[in-house]
Amino acid sequence: MTDVQKALPRDAFIDEIFAAAKSNPNIYFITADLGAKALDRFRVELQRQLIHGGISEQNVMDLAAGLAQNGKIVYTYAMAPFITLRCYEQIKVAVASMFLPVTIIGNGVGYSYTDAGPTHYATEDISCMRALGGLEIVTPCDTVSAVATAKLTHSHPAFRYIRLDRAFLPAVYEENDRRFLNEGLVEIESGEKVCVITNGYMVQVAREVKIQLASQGINFGIIDAYRLRPIDGNILSGLLARYDRVVTLEEHFLSGGLGGAIVEAMADAGIMKHVKRIGVADTYLFENGGRGYMHRKAGIDAATVGQEIARFCQEEK
Amino acid sequence: MSKIFLAKFPMTTNINELKKRASWLRREAFEMVARSKKGHFPSSSSCTEIVVALYYSGFLRYDSRNPKNPDRDRLFISKGHAGMVLYPVLEDLGFVPKGELLKFTKADGIFRFYPDPSIPGIEAITGSLGHGIGLAAGHCLAAKHEQRASRSYVIISDGECYEGSTWETAMFAAHAGLNNLVVFVDRNGCCIMDHTEKCVRIDPLEDKWKAFGWHTVTIDAHSMPEVMGVLEMATSGEIDKPIAVIARSVKGKGVSFMENKPGWHNRMPTDDEIAIARRELAAEPNA
Repeated sequence: MTDVQKALPRDAFIDEIFAAAKSNPNIYFITADLGAKALDRFRVELQRQLIHGGISEQNVMDLAAGLAQNGKIVYTYAMAPFITLRCYEQIKVAVASMFLPVTIIGNGVGYSYTDAGPTHYATEDISCMRALGGLEIVTPCDTVSAVATAKLTHSHPAFRYIRLDRAFLPAVYEENDRRFLNEGLVEIESGEKVCVITNGYMVQVAREVKIQLASQGINFGIIDAYRLRPIDGNILSGLLARYDRVVTLEEHFLSGGLGGAIVEAMADAGIMKHVKRIGVADTYLFENGGRGYMHRKAGIDAATVGQEIARFCQEEK
Repeated sequence: MSKIFLAKFPMTTNINELKKRASWLRREAFEMVARSKKGHFPSSSSCTEIVVALYYSGFLRYDSRNPKNPDRDRLFISKGHAGMVLYPVLEDLGFVPKGELLKFTKADGIFRFYPDPSIPGIEAITGSLGHGIGLAAGHCLAAKHEQRASRSYVIISDGECYEGSTWETAMFAAHAGLNNLVVFVDRNGCCIMDHTEKCVRIDPLEDKWKAFGWHTVTIDAHSMPEVMGVLEMATSGEIDKPIAVIARSVKGKGVSFMENKPGWHNRMPTDDEIAIARRELAAEPNA
């Protein structure tokens, strides 16, 4: 089995599905031509259950719905921008409106496919997918949470969108920690006065900023927004009770993204706090130069985020 | 699957009997529109013989007492705007209580404007074109993997051949060897704004399906012997590919002033037009 501290979240996730599929012939994994190291064995050993649906996301999603109607536990898998936007109407009509428990795995959220350009970036997937009725959206921020998520998807199948990063992500959770599953929002670093709510890859950026701002006397908490839909207002309320200000940080456009989801949940729960949303620049980036460079261009690198948070902490309420 | 037919009308392969039922179904579909001022009669009437042949000749294996019987054959009316053509049949065969037809599109009725799987006997939500074939392919894969004999029949519109998703699944189904999948393309030649060949050319349609690896055949959709013949072929077990039936039909069949007139797609007839249509539909053989 995978060493979960060392594996890519994606490979660990698929390894877990593969292990489950070996003893459950009802598990089907449909790929729209996106491979993975972990899929190689799947293809060889479970040929019937691993379906190549063609580079045809619409076909993949309708097929998935048809299989799910027959009681199958179905996964659909492709790069995040393609398995969401390319077949969005299929997700709405065939999966969402028929209440089918299909798991949609989007690999490479945000700028994960670094340097590939806007076709491969998923900086609007949260806002689009949030609009669908009945969907659960989760973003594992490390391999432990990715594997636990994978287990959940086959033990309790539901209509879910799993947002996986393409990069290796350092451990955030201890091996047996399951707070993210139970609560959806987890305070992974405590702090004072201000907290940063983020998820996925950006958890690491937030941690870097936290170290950076400590010298300025700013000690913010970090909340991992593992589950962005639905958000439990009581849990959010409890987590924010001892903070005065809230920063949301995302590798996504601000329209309808993580920050949007959080402020909506705050409004619904009657949580009155000063909020600063930080997300990617409202444009498409074509320059190459690596993910850090992308973040600088988009305004979500650690230095820029640190300045924004410091400024926000000094603002009059 | 055991005998599960509960029809008011007995199963028959008698062509004249089936023709009478097609006339009955056309009249019922028209009355639904006349009563509720909702629905798509022209699109329903172009595929009436196909629906009758499937349900009343014994080719389609269904279980009205247990509509989700896993061994059933599936029928997807992918051109969801014509989903209403199934409703008189579903009521007749006991999928829903008698009297439901009179409540078509009413808040307390089971039969909705567009079909959805909450209606007993309806497999899937349709209304957005290009979904039925992909959904059916999923059912066909499941049937093959579970070694069930069930087939999926899909009625798509010719306008549905504009949808890219149709061809995504066409390619997949041929590759996957889904010889338990039968698609009827209701080739009435009309979409909403005009005739298909004037909008964006679809022909040569049979060649396209053939090129995608399907077994193809073109029939007259209103000829009961031809529809029965193609069902016999499709269920013979001798075809090793998915089957596409180009069913050349007349949109609005049975009502002269609606026939082959794209403008009637969702237009409601006036009282005078209703009277004329009733006379014409009554002149067809009675069930």
